[in-house]
Amino acid sequence: MIDKKIKDDIGIIILENPPHNYLQKPEFIPVSELREWIEGTHLKALVISGSGRHFSGGAKLDSIFTMAEAGEPMEGQMEKGKELLDYLQDLNIPVAAAISGVCFGGGLEIALACHMRICSENALFAFPETNLGLMPGLGGTFRLGERLSLKNSLKMILGGDIINAEEALLLKVVDTIVKDEEPLSYTLHFLRKITEGRPLKIINYVMQALKNSKRLPAEESMREETRMFCDLARIESNRRKIANP
Amino acid sequence: MKQIRHTLAFNITDGIGHLELNQPPANQMNAEFFSEFNKLVDELRVMKGLKAIVISSKGRHFSSGANVEELLEQAGTPGERNHAEMKENWNTISERNSRSFLFFEETEIPVIAAIRGVCIGCAFELAMFSHFRFCGEDAVFGLPETTFNLMPGLGGIRKIAALCGQAKAIELLLKGNTFGAEEAQLNHLVDKIVPRRKVVEFSMAFARKVMKNYKKQKASLYLRQIPLDDPFYI
Repeated sequence: MIDKKIKDDIGIIILENPPHNYLQKPEFIPVSELREWIEGTHLKALVISGSGRHFSGGAKLDSIFTMAEAGEPMEGQMEKGKELLDYLQDLNIPVAAAISGVCFGGGLEIALACHMRICSENALFAFPETNLGLMPGLGGTFRLGERLSLKNSLKMILGGDIINAEEALLLKVVDTIVKDEEPLSYTLHFLRKITEGRPLKIINYVMQALKNSKRLPAEESMREETRMFCDLARIESNRRKIANP
Repeated sequence: MKQIRHTLAFNITDGIGHLELNQPPANQMNAEFFSEFNKLVDELRVMKGLKAIVISSKGRHFSSGANVEELLEQAGTPGERNHAEMKENWNTISERNSRSFLFFEETEIPVIAAIRGVCIGCAFELAMFSHFRFCGEDAVFGLPETTFNLMPGLGGIRKIAALCGQAKAIELLLKGNTFGAEEAQLNHLVDKIVPRRKVVEFSMAFARKVMKNYKKQKASLYLRQIPLDDPFYI
């Protein structure tokens, strides 16, 4: 269901269940497995993409109903899925979604948990859940609400409308539209360009500071930023002394 | 009593405080600058009657930011000195600098950065703590710290993420590249590009217009009121 690869210190996760890459379950890759892989191989960035023409159509409707009917602990499964997306969002390396074709429901929730979204001109985005008597359940309403006005969030979530790449860019659901190139190869090239030659520690600190700036009060987040800066300055100062005694 | 300052100038005209970085051509923000700058900010905190602040620089450039060599020298820990004490002192100094930057964001009066030429590193951080940024068509921006194995450390990461969004912020911070006025405006990092020779004049005129009822409106509303194509606005 998932294919993992590494290229130039960048991890690639491919959602693989063609043609629509439906998600079998909310926790599409166990967090523990992901953590071991990312930390064990010292990845500098991560990209998530879909196999073939589409990113992901989300969960398949009948699998949701089977899960609900089976009386399985559905909440537990959803919690695990949410933990996975929180883990991705909290990673101290850049995480990008490279999107072509459909990016619906749970697929869009995965994309919204990433730090950046890069899509092809033919990409389509939607939360079709309410058309089916459901609603997004993996934090999608929250993450979309952070980016969009209430009016536009409601239009997407309650309206269940499908929007195209252009509209998604205008609404800031995506950050970049790629023309004449596969989003995955563009994203890999982009991530290599911004992480090449940067020690992992600096990448981690910059990402941590960005995260702090969203979650901590101004003074606290700035104090942390200064602390990390001082730490790097000391390391660099000592490195230069050793290099040129 | 008129304060003697070497690295910066501060003059008040009609209620508008004009802070000028005064070490041309690069207007480097070295330790001496920060020491005078922090003292000035402490005065500004309690100053009465000030209605707006314009920040600019003498000469061709806004500022090339910190002096990296001097900074690393200060950060280093010579063996004979007490390591922990040095570390403590330096963190305190840096924190003090960043608290001074925060003053410009939190003050109730409008703060405008008038930028010509180069504005990089902690100079760009200072500009981002202003409420408005106007620049000449020749302006060059960037946070190149990561290319020196460092990172912005005075709150610039927080500011750039708020202005241009997470994805662009990650790119600009990690790549550390410089970019021009138009790209800065495209990414919401400057509010308006004006002819280079008019940047300070324009900023002063803007300060006079907004200082009367600032804070009753949002900053973005003031900007929308600037007639973008009106050459007689100033």
